Parts: sequence; structure tokens; C-alpha cells
Amino acid sequence: MTGHDDGLPNDPEGIALMIHALVDGELDAAAALAVERRIAADPRLAAEHARILALRGAVARLPRPDVSDAFLARIAAIGMAGGEQQAQPAEPQRGAPSALPGLIAGAGAGQRREAGTRPSQTRTSPRARRFGSFDWRAMAASIMISAVLASGATQWVMQSGVDDGFAAAVASGHRRSLLAASPIDIVSSDRHTVKPWLDARIGVSPPAPDLAQDGYALIGGRVEVISDRPVPALVYRHREHLITLVAEPQQGGKVTQPDDLSSGGFSMVHWSDGAFSYWAISDMERPELDDFVARFRKAAV
Amino acid sequence: MPVSGNLVLGNKARAPSRLEVVRPIPSGVSDHGAALSERALAERFNQVVLPHLGDALALARWLTGNAADAEDVVQDACIKAHAGISGYAGGNPRAWLLTIVRNTSYTWMSRNRPRAMMAVGDLGDLDDMAAAHGTSLPDEDGPEASLIAKADTAALEAAIAALPEPFRETLVLRDINGLAYREIAAMLDVPMGTVMSRLARARGLLASELGRAP
Repeated sequence: MTGHDDGLPNDPEGIALMIHALVDGELDAAAALAVERRIAADPRLAAEHARILALRGAVARLPRPDVSDAFLARIAAIGMAGGEQQAQPAEPQRGAPSALPGLIAGAGAGQRREAGTRPSQTRTSPRARRFGSFDWRAMAASIMISAVLASGATQWVMQSGVDDGFAAAVASGHRRSLLAASPIDIVSSDRHTVKPWLDARIGVSPPAPDLAQDGYALIGGRVEVISDRPVPALVYRHREHLITLVAEPQQGGKVTQPDDLSSGGFSMVHWSDGAFSYWAISDMERPELDDFVARFRKAAV
Repeated sequence: MPVSGNLVLGNKARAPSRLEVVRPIPSGVSDHGAALSERALAERFNQVVLPHLGDALALARWLTGNAADAEDVVQDACIKAHAGISGYAGGNPRAWLLTIVRNTSYTWMSRNRPRAMMAVGDLGDLDDMAAAHGTSLPDEDGPEASLIAKADTAALEAAIAALPEPFRETLVLRDINGLAYREIAAMLDVPMGTVMSRLARARGLLASELGRAP
């Protein structure tokens, strides 16, 4: 650990690993700084760095498998298999056909178990558990999922004042993104990557200031389809919370001050700057979202 | 603060250790004193498993080689995850689920495609394999970054599929599933240095493969 005196390995292989670690965000600030200096000083390392970045970007752009609704419902049914037991007074369903034969091994010895049964009693009769009627549960699961998604949307429509449909769609998009494999289509903390990506996809890209210093890291972007039109969405992370910022292009729109549309456990703020109409939504507390909005507006000017 | 090449002690430092995923917990039976109610377990399943199904499918797709098998594997894995959900002790739920998916994938592969399972030797063999593929270490000239960036999806997917298993798995866990080095090391039960060198080699192989294309 000598030579450059920056604590980094000096063999080519070692420094290459450090460049990978830098790209992967695995280095602390001090080490990252040291590696960046080495890269700046050595064109070969710079080329390697560029290669790794390019490759990572290419892999991140690969299409991801869809989680079909049918598959999601099937998996949700597995979860319901255990949870539903207590919630519901047991009904004998032994004869029911099963969609998940693998799970019914212990089924069949159905003794009734009352809803109010105490734990100590249930413990004595493990065989009371039944796993019948899976198709019923699968259906219930899919209904539940649809209902949750739909009721969220409905709530927005019912409660928000202006642009109901748009706000509801933004909210659904945000919720959907939390369930999806990845909340973002383009992964990047670099606005110089996110903006061109959006530009290339849909021909518009909103201001995408990096607010990492303020605690709101830009982690990427995606395209939302709202009212049959593709609109750009940026995704910021604040601690464990994700913030979706949908920016609807406006033509000659007016400038409006932030307007609170929060509802249903999500905070939502809407404002316009003339060029774009913004919708910020997150599960953060309202004051935190306001803070984000204030910083974004300041930085986006 | 001394400048060092230390890796950040991950923000998600509590990576899951090896999991006993197949231990069927007699659900509904309180297996330890303050056992969670079934409803709480079901809720936890919804929170821990459902949001990460896309990642689970992506990993299984790359480990088994196709999307249809991936659904079967993930479904099996979710049944095991459900049985073992009370053993989930916090930490990154995605890493927890992916550990189960990985184990399930290999079980599934050995049952359904015994011939496809390549016996993987020690790291020395891997190094030989890497050399045969023409790994580009930084002291050689690698392809232009722009060439890599332009690579089309099919070529990239083929190149990933052609990677030797341990390299592919490490690359997918990092670049597609987005796990931290520490989490991958815990999942594969290898030192972090091994994760780093496998990842570097995987990327080197891909880069030279993509760079070769006209």
C-alpha cells in the first residue's frame, strides 16, 4: 500500500478492482476520491473506467422479465395460504380442487377451528390446518390486488381537486413502480445520463438537478403513460423513501405554486413552472416532501 | 480520516447468512414463544416477497436460461420463502428472497437438467477459462467504450448466457439485481475479494465479446 501513497493497491489487477468498486458505489468518499484521481491521471485507467460504465449501462438497459398479473396472483395466493386462516372462521373445504398441489400435503385432516380459538388451543391441533380451496384464494388474491390498486386510484379521483385523472394516474404509477421489479427504467445517478435517455425515448426531458447534497439522490428515470401520452418521470431517493417526480410538458402554461394533493397515505404536491407541470409523490411525510419540492424548484431554475 | 481503499461497510450491512430455506415451519403452530401470528407472517410475506418478484424472475431466468422455467423456479422458491418467512430476520428482503431463488434454481437444475449442470472446479479452473476467453486486464487494450454502449440487446444477452456460471451469477446479482458486494459474498458464501474478481472477470469477458463485434 505505498507508491502513490493514496492507500490504493498498485498492481494493475488491484486498481482495476477498485475501479469496478467505484462504479458500483462500493467505495467510501475518501477511497472514491483517490480512485478518481488515479483515473484522471492515467488514460488507460480512464478507458477501463469508461468501458465498465458503458457495460453496466448496457446491462441495466436489458429488458427485464415481466411479472404478469396471473403470476403475481399465483404467488400472492401462497402468502394468503397461511394468513387467511386466522382471519376467517374455517370452513370445511377439503374436497375443493387445488391449484397448488405442492402445498396440500398436510391438508385434509380438517377439524374445524373457530375464529376465536386461542393460540394455546391451536397449538394442540396442527392437523387442523387445511390448505384446500386454493383457486378460491388465488382468485381472492387477484381481486384483492386489483381492489387495492383500484381503490387507491379512486381515492385520488375522489379527493383531489384539479386534474383528478392525472393525479390518480400519477399515484397509480408511483404505487405500481413500488411493486415492480425496479422503480426505474434507466438507472443512473448522473443527470447527464438520465436526460439524454428520456430525450431519446420521448423527446422531452425535464430539469433533473442532482440533489444528492441535499439528501435527495437522483437514482434514475422512467416513462409513465398518462392520459395516453408518455411523460417523463424522475425518481429520487431520500433515505429509504422513493420520490416519483412526473413532469408533464406544458405549452405556454402558467406558473402555479405548490399545491397539496396528499391522500391515502401518500404525499403529493403539484406545481408548474411554465414549461412543465410537476407532480411529486412519495410515502414520505408531507414536510419532507415540501422540503424536496422547495429544493428542486430552487435547483431547477 | 485515513484515506484507504476500504470498501464502505455497506449501508445494508446485515446481509442474510446462509438460509435454511427448506425447513418447513409448521405454519399455524407457534414454534417459538413470541411467535408472530399467521396474519403477521402473511403480511410479511406480502411485503418481503411480492415487491421483488421481478428480481427473482430475472435471476432465475439467467440461472436456468429461459423465462418459462424461471416462473416455475420462482414459484417453488416462493413456497419455500413462505414456509421460512418467520426466519427472515430483517436485512435486505431482496437479498433474502434471491438467496432462496438461487438455491432453488440449482436444485431445480440438478433435477431437471442434470446434464446442463457443469461441475465447477476451483478458482484456478475459472482463471483458465477466463484466459481462454481472452479476458482484458487493464494492461491490455480493451475495446472502445462506445462500441460496448452500442451493443445490441441480443448480442449482450448471448454474451451473458455464454459466461461461465460463477461469473454470470455474480454479474447478474450485481448488475441486474443490484445487490451490494457484501450481500453477494454472503449469498455465495465466498470472500468479498472473490466476488470482486469474479465480477471484474465477468465484465472483462463481456466487454471483449462485445468489442469484437463489428
